[in-house]
Formats: sequence, structure tokens, C-alpha cells
Amino acid sequence: MKMENMLFSGPDPTKLEGLVHDIYSELVDDACLGLCFEVHRAVKQGYFFLDETDQESMKEFEIVDQPGVDIFGQVYNQWKNKECECPNCKRLIAASRFAPHLEKCLGMGRNSSRIANRRLATNNNVSKSESDQEDNDDLNDNDWSYGAEKKAKKRKSDKNQNSPRRSKSLKHKNGELGSNITSEPYKFSSQYNYNPGVNYETLGPDEVRSLLTTQCGVISEHTKKMCTRSQRCPQHTDEQRRAVRVFLLGPSAPPFPDAGATTVENDSFDIPDTQTLMHRLQWEDSPDISPADSASSKASTNHSDSRKPKKKKPTSGLSSGGVGSLTGGSSSSSSSSSQINVSLANKKKRPKLSAPLIPTIYNELN
Amino acid sequence: MNKDSQMRAAINQKLIEMGERERLKELLRTKLVECGWKDQMKAHCKDVIREKGLEHVTVEDLVTEVTPKGRALVPDSVKKELLQRIRAFLAQHATL
Repeated sequence: MKMENMLFSGPDPTKLEGLVHDIYSELVDDACLGLCFEVHRAVKQGYFFLDETDQESMKEFEIVDQPGVDIFGQVYNQWKNKECECPNCKRLIAASRFAPHLEKCLGMGRNSSRIANRRLATNNNVSKSESDQEDNDDLNDNDWSYGAEKKAKKRKSDKNQNSPRRSKSLKHKNGELGSNITSEPYKFSSQYNYNPGVNYETLGPDEVRSLLTTQCGVISEHTKKMCTRSQRCPQHTDEQRRAVRVFLLGPSAPPFPDAGATTVENDSFDIPDTQTLMHRLQWEDSPDISPADSASSKASTNHSDSRKPKKKKPTSGLSSGGVGSLTGGSSSSSSSSSQINVSLANKKKRPKLSAPLIPTIYNELN
Repeated sequence: MNKDSQMRAAINQKLIEMGERERLKELLRTKLVECGWKDQMKAHCKDVIREKGLEHVTVEDLVTEVTPKGRALVPDSVKKELLQRIRAFLAQHATL
């Protein structure tokens, strides 16, 4: 309209160009003014110089850009040696093991309550019965509620607590303890039940004595370790047990508790006895046998027995058998001799296992 | 003279009415930020403020100190583009 007319009427392009430049400079001034307002506001609000720091701190916290070093100028392999203090037990744990430790220490996780209980039991050193421990276990399991859902699960599993699976796990626990103990042979006393063996060479005399009063103790030929089962263990004979006691404790050893009729039978298996047996057979062949002779033979057997210090009653089955044959008179010498032969065969069978051990023991004693 | 100022006012009105002025302003601002003009200006503002003291700075001081430098620092490419846009606008509306 008006403007167009004016523009058209304004013929000189220099005027138009001046107009364009004016508009442009106005725009630039606007921009400058906007910036000035912005800066002024920032200054008055106090955040204009926030991005600036003094030169010292700039130098101090300069970013380091060198190979093998992090941006703070530290060697970054040192994390390996880092240790963290456990907030629960105040121990220093290697950083890489910290998470597993915390899980156990704080009582999260599946086995934690069991582990904690075990630790408590060992710390208190209270010889709790297994059932007691189990009760505690359950208690803790129920106390710790991870969530409603988990609790429901627990309830379910509580029903099965009397199942053999549970006792099995307990046994396994004891087994673990036993295997732990074998690594330190001096602490064998309480967990001998599941201990595969104790090296007798590493034990002191007192320990040996206490060990032998509670357990079998027969030294295995293969592993050279002592059996740690009870004194009634079926794998070894009383004969073997006794021999080991003589070997380890010497002549002053206390008698084996089971020393009775059975042990007396076993006594007869050794070389001097067989020799007397031979004598007896010869005597019985000869008709003029006298009680005095038999007594002397008895004495000789007694003498040979007395060298073995453990026997309380040195009356051997053999000699009694001899007496029996004597009292029975010379009714049938052949039958009695056959009897002796049978008993001898029996005796030879029984102590087979200990046979290689016994001569060495006697050599030592002599 | 009167005619000239009349024409000027008419053009400005047209620029504002059409919204072209706002568009041009926005274009200029982005271009200036892109080319680093704003950072340069801020640095200059800092110098000015340090000189005057943080408490005594006024907007007028800043404008008088900063605007001449601001005009001078606008890159040629930005200036050329802006002038081109204005010319095109004027030509468009002059021909109508």
C-alpha cells in the first residue's frame, strides 16, 4: 500500500541498502543487549564466575594424560592391594573378596545362618548336641525374612526338617569340619569321628595317650596314619589295637580296656608260643609226661608273655588247653593235638593283618 | 526526510507484523553462538566486570563497553547471510 508506493517511489538503491544495514545493526545491537542483560543478571545473581577457579587449584587438579596413569596421575593397578574394612566384623577384607564376605557376614544368602551358627558354636566352645544346633539353625532361618514369598517357601521347607535330607546335610557339615581338622593335626580331639586318619609322628606323647584312650588308633600300613574310629571299630581287631598301644606308649602303657578272653587268645600267636606248642606236641607223644614238666612249659610261656607288658593275665589259651589235656589224662593224645592244631589254625587266620607289625614291635621292645 | 522516516517505520512494522524480525533475531543468535562470538563477548564482559568491580557494574556500562566490540566481532559470513535475508524480505514485500 503505502509502503510499496514509497519503496517504488524511492528510486535510489543506496537508500534501500542503507535501510538494510540499519536493520542489520539493529539486530546486532539487540543481540548485544540480550547478552549484556544475561551477563549482568549472572553477575548480580553471583553465578557469573562460577566456572572459573584460581590458578593454583587448576594446576593441582590438572587432568593427567599419560599412559599407564589415570586422570589423577595415579597408577591404576593398585586396586589389587586394596582392602576394605567389613562394617560388621571390622576385619580387613581384600576388595575382591569383600562382596562374598559381606554376604556371609551380614547373614544374607543361603548358607549364612549355618555358617554363623557354626562360628558361634566354635567361639563359645560349647559342646552342644547336634539337635540343639539344629534347633538354633531353624530359629535363625525363620528369623531372617527376605520377603513374604521367601518366608512362605521357608515354611514349606520347615515341614521337611525331619527328613533324612536334613540330617544328611548336618553330617556333611561335620564331615567338613573333620576335613578341616586334618589340615591341622594337633586339633583332632573332638572331631575324630569323621577324621580319615592322624599322623602319629606329629603328635606329642600326651596327645597320643588321650587319642588312644578314645579311639581305635591302629596304624594303617598304607597311609601310615592312625585310625580315628571308636575303639570298637570293625575294621581292626583288638589285637591290632593292642599292638599299636604297645608300640606307641611303651611297656608302661595302660592295658587296653577290652583286654579279656579274646585278647588272651590272640596272645598265643607268636613265635615262642608256637615253639612251646611244638614242645607240647613232643611231650604228648612221649608217655612219661609229668605235671611239673607241663608247669615248666607253662612257666616258659609265662616268661615269654611277661616280655609283653600289656597282658594282665598271661595265662594263654594254649597253656590252658595244655592243662585241660593234662587233666583229661592221656585219654587221646591225637585228639588233643588235633584240637591244638585247629586252634592254631584259627589263630593264624585271625591276626593276619597285624602279623607284619608284631615282629617289629617285639624287636623294639627287646 | 519525513518521508524517509515514515518509510523506515513502515518497514519495521512490516518486519514485526510478519514475524520476520523474530526469525532474523533467532537466526543471528544461533549463528553467533555457533561461531564463538558469544564466548568471545563473555570473556570481554569478564574483563570489563573485573575492571569495574563486581558490585559496581551496571547494564549501561556493559552495553557501552561491549556493543562496539560486539558489532566488530560479528563474522563476515554471518553478516552477509543476514543482510541477504533482509534484502530478500524487502524485495519480496516491495514487489507486492
